[in-house]
Amino acid sequence: MRDPIVTFEGVTKSYDGRTRVVEALDLALARGEFLTLLGPSGSGKTTTLMMLAGFEDPTSGTITLDGKKLNHVPAHRRGIGMVFQNYALFPHMTVAENLVFPLQMHGVPKNEIEPKVKRALDMVRLPHLRDRKPAQLSGGQQQRVAVARALVYGPKLVLMDEPLGALDKQLREELQLEIKHLHDELGVTIVYVTHDQSEALTMSDRIAVFHQGRVQQLAAPAELYERPATAFVASFIGENNRFDGTLVARDGAACRVRLADGSEIAATIDADVATGAPVAVSIRPERVTIGAASTHANRFNGELREVIYLGDHCKLRLAVAGNESFVAKVPAGDHATTLARGAPLAVAWDAAACRALPPLA
Amino acid sequence: MTTGNGLALGLRTFTAIVLVFLLAPIVAVFPLSFSAGELLTLPTPGYSLRWYDDFFTSSKWLLATRNSFVVGIATAILATFLGTLAALGIYLGRFRGKAFLVAMLATPMVVPVVVTAIAMYFAFSFVGLNNTLAGLIVAHTILSVPYVLITVLATLQTFDRTLLRAAATLGAPPPAAFRRVLLPLIAPGVATGALFAFATSFDELVVAIFVAGPQQFTLPRQMYAGLREFLSPTIASAAVLLIVCSLFLLAANEYFRARGKARTAPDDPAEPN
Amino acid sequence: MAISRNNLLAAALIAPLFAVVVASFIVPLAVTLWTAIGNPEVRETLPRTTAALRGWNGSDLPAEAAFAAVAAELAQAQESQSIGPLARRLNFEEPGLRALLLKTARAKDRLSAPYRTSLVELDARWGDASLWRLIARNAAPLTTLYLLRSLDLTLTPDGKIATAPADESIFLALFARTFVISFWVTVLCVLLGYPVAYTLSTLSTRWANVGMALVLIPFWTSILVRTTAWFILLQREGPVNALLLGLGIVDAPVTMIFTRFAVYIAMVHVLLPFVVLPLYSVMKGINPAYLRAAASLGAPPWKRFVRVYLPLTMPGVAAGGLMVFMLAVGFYITPVLVGGPEDQMVSYFIAFFTNQTINWGMAAALACLLLAMTAILVVVARLIVPGFRLGSVSP
Repeated sequence: MRDPIVTFEGVTKSYDGRTRVVEALDLALARGEFLTLLGPSGSGKTTTLMMLAGFEDPTSGTITLDGKKLNHVPAHRRGIGMVFQNYALFPHMTVAENLVFPLQMHGVPKNEIEPKVKRALDMVRLPHLRDRKPAQLSGGQQQRVAVARALVYGPKLVLMDEPLGALDKQLREELQLEIKHLHDELGVTIVYVTHDQSEALTMSDRIAVFHQGRVQQLAAPAELYERPATAFVASFIGENNRFDGTLVARDGAACRVRLADGSEIAATIDADVATGAPVAVSIRPERVTIGAASTHANRFNGELREVIYLGDHCKLRLAVAGNESFVAKVPAGDHATTLARGAPLAVAWDAAACRALPPLA
Repeated sequence: MTTGNGLALGLRTFTAIVLVFLLAPIVAVFPLSFSAGELLTLPTPGYSLRWYDDFFTSSKWLLATRNSFVVGIATAILATFLGTLAALGIYLGRFRGKAFLVAMLATPMVVPVVVTAIAMYFAFSFVGLNNTLAGLIVAHTILSVPYVLITVLATLQTFDRTLLRAAATLGAPPPAAFRRVLLPLIAPGVATGALFAFATSFDELVVAIFVAGPQQFTLPRQMYAGLREFLSPTIASAAVLLIVCSLFLLAANEYFRARGKARTAPDDPAEPN
Repeated sequence: MAISRNNLLAAALIAPLFAVVVASFIVPLAVTLWTAIGNPEVRETLPRTTAALRGWNGSDLPAEAAFAAVAAELAQAQESQSIGPLARRLNFEEPGLRALLLKTARAKDRLSAPYRTSLVELDARWGDASLWRLIARNAAPLTTLYLLRSLDLTLTPDGKIATAPADESIFLALFARTFVISFWVTVLCVLLGYPVAYTLSTLSTRWANVGMALVLIPFWTSILVRTTAWFILLQREGPVNALLLGLGIVDAPVTMIFTRFAVYIAMVHVLLPFVVLPLYSVMKGINPAYLRAAASLGAPPWKRFVRVYLPLTMPGVAAGGLMVFMLAVGFYITPVLVGGPEDQMVSYFIAFFTNQTINWGMAAALACLLLAMTAILVVVARLIVPGFRLGSVSP
């Protein structure tokens, strides 16, 4: 990457000297990028963010911002804006005072403060609430003030630590788009931490999936969903059917995997795996078709266990090739009424939609 | 608990009686202090201000009043300063044994006052602090500092540490973050601690009995001396003045507590209530 | 590992208070402990005498040198006025010795060598080896005498532990009395405080605030003022008797002041808020859904109380009760003002020995025992109430 704004080089963090919360992290952020750190709790994503913000020191490795080494630069001299999980608005200050605070701290001349505050409040559409205390605002309003406060003094980089975690679903989706639009308008670089995969898919230019202190895959949302690099990524992002088996044949990207019950699956493979090694085969439920008339490479006879009606589509739970909780997603109209539990049902999917991955624990 | 009406009524009557028991003696002192007679009897033979006049013209009572305020204010300042600093240190530090340290610094609260009093009396006799206002101030500071420490620590527990992080990301160096974010938010707790320190000193008698000489008599000490000599209604008027001070301190305390609550407990969405 | 900047700052912030508490509280407590076991009087006033007694067999009379030394040193002590503490100290072990020592000191001109004959002539007790054994024993820098006396024990002149003479065996009874008074005060406070806290916790916010104010006003009013109020009210000619006579309940004034009854009334009055306040906050925190759940599961009201409400409020009862008990054990002013001679508690005797008989050793020994008792109570409190903190009843 040319002229990255932030780089992590071999960054490792350990609290007790033994277990590594973040391990040998290499990461580069492009200017103006929206990068999401996604992972379950304890995966190292928040620690990574805290090291960038200056609240944790890396045990080893280097972090740079604009080409300058950040190690041991205190948080208040990094010029990185941050939105906190519970907003961290100063409860004793009004909305406007909360916005004035960073401007004063950065030595903005007095006559420039008021226009900046006004612009920031307009930006988040809250000019009428400027004299309220945070406790008098709703959760969504507090969240907007927190965003405005992080942006008001014009930092090049803004960190967001699960900023929508405390809000209900509908408001969360609304604010996801608002933040995304702000990002597009202002051209600011954003590092966003979340454990919610749909949030990550909605907002990000790129997503770094964290697991056990390591980045499993760093890619654009579509790439991540369509071509997961590891079994963890496949299972963490979106719904996924998994078969464990052995790689028996391989020809470039095409391969065959034998399952425990003896059946074989034709799949696609990128990873460097030798024949005879164990692999996990991943197939998305929406890529599965049902019914006997199919030209797909993989055809199985399953047994229907359960039909879950979800309005726009149905989820079918089946037993397929030894997998007792195989899921297929089908349009609701076709089958909702006609299928009966316990009935045999043919399922099929294409080899291209089905990926053999190294079986990470 | 759903209780029968009879039981609820009984409980309320009982509570009313107990509350009357708690309050009656304090209220009874008021008419006694305005008595026109020489004896502390109710009903009073008539009302007058002669015992207040007696109080405010007696050099002994005036000296005691002055001493009480001097010692109380000095104690409040010292205890608040030392206690708040230590509470901040305990809050900010990352070390083991915090609970033990707090327990150690708070022991004067548990040790029977008489034990503290003779301990200070013995120790002060070596360094010449007996019969000095300075000695009394030191002793009262020791007695009241645990309240400041515990009140400020409790306030700090409700303080959200991420606010300091937020201040840092907004460009505030630690001293500015302390002055503009931490201090304003814990101020009501500090004020409560200071008030209680003053009240502790202002009401304290046992240590004063041991450590103070006649020149250092405080209001309680002078009252105690009066009780043991001759029971004059002046004592009742002194008691009334002390009660009024206590009410004033209680009201101020409730004011700061309400303010502290309004500041540190917003309807935070992260905290289900 | 290097100390982090954080902890350096923390240490700097804590240090001033730490220093003050150590210098003005921990050190004085250590001085008190030292006073309880220290034994300086004989060593400092009679150094040559005790030196002369070194190597003495303890059964015959000591050598002439000891007699000469004691005569000279007593005379000297009389001049430098240091004989007082010595006389008090030895008189405390054996009544009558004060007179003997003062008499001997004053008689210095009439004494001459051989002092052995001369002293025995002055007072036959000088010819008693047990007196000399007493002096020799107290050459030791430490003594257990005060602590033993506080437990109604004593040391014989030969240094053996024995029960103290009956007229001085008052301390076990004193500790027992202190315990009994504190116990009943605690029981009364809990019995009165529990229903009050419960009722207040069920009232609407407005009435609960009024009720709490009525509890807080006495809580903030000084103990002396409240005790004084009872002192005035309970007088023979006081308002309570006037009321009782006026209502025709009694025919003649009842003696209430200077009785155990007055001590209980005033102590309960002073300590009741310490039970109501923690109980109230515990009761306020109990989710009414528990009781509704118990009711829906078929529990009648009294069972709901015994099986659900009481166990949930027990931490408050224990915290408040222990607090009251600990405070009561150290009470001083209230029993002194409204109690009689038979109602005084340990604190009274600590003050008595400090200010009246100037027997600092006894005062310190009683203080140490009272302190040990309190320490045991704190440990018990921590065992019974998990997370018991003394701040639980702070304002």
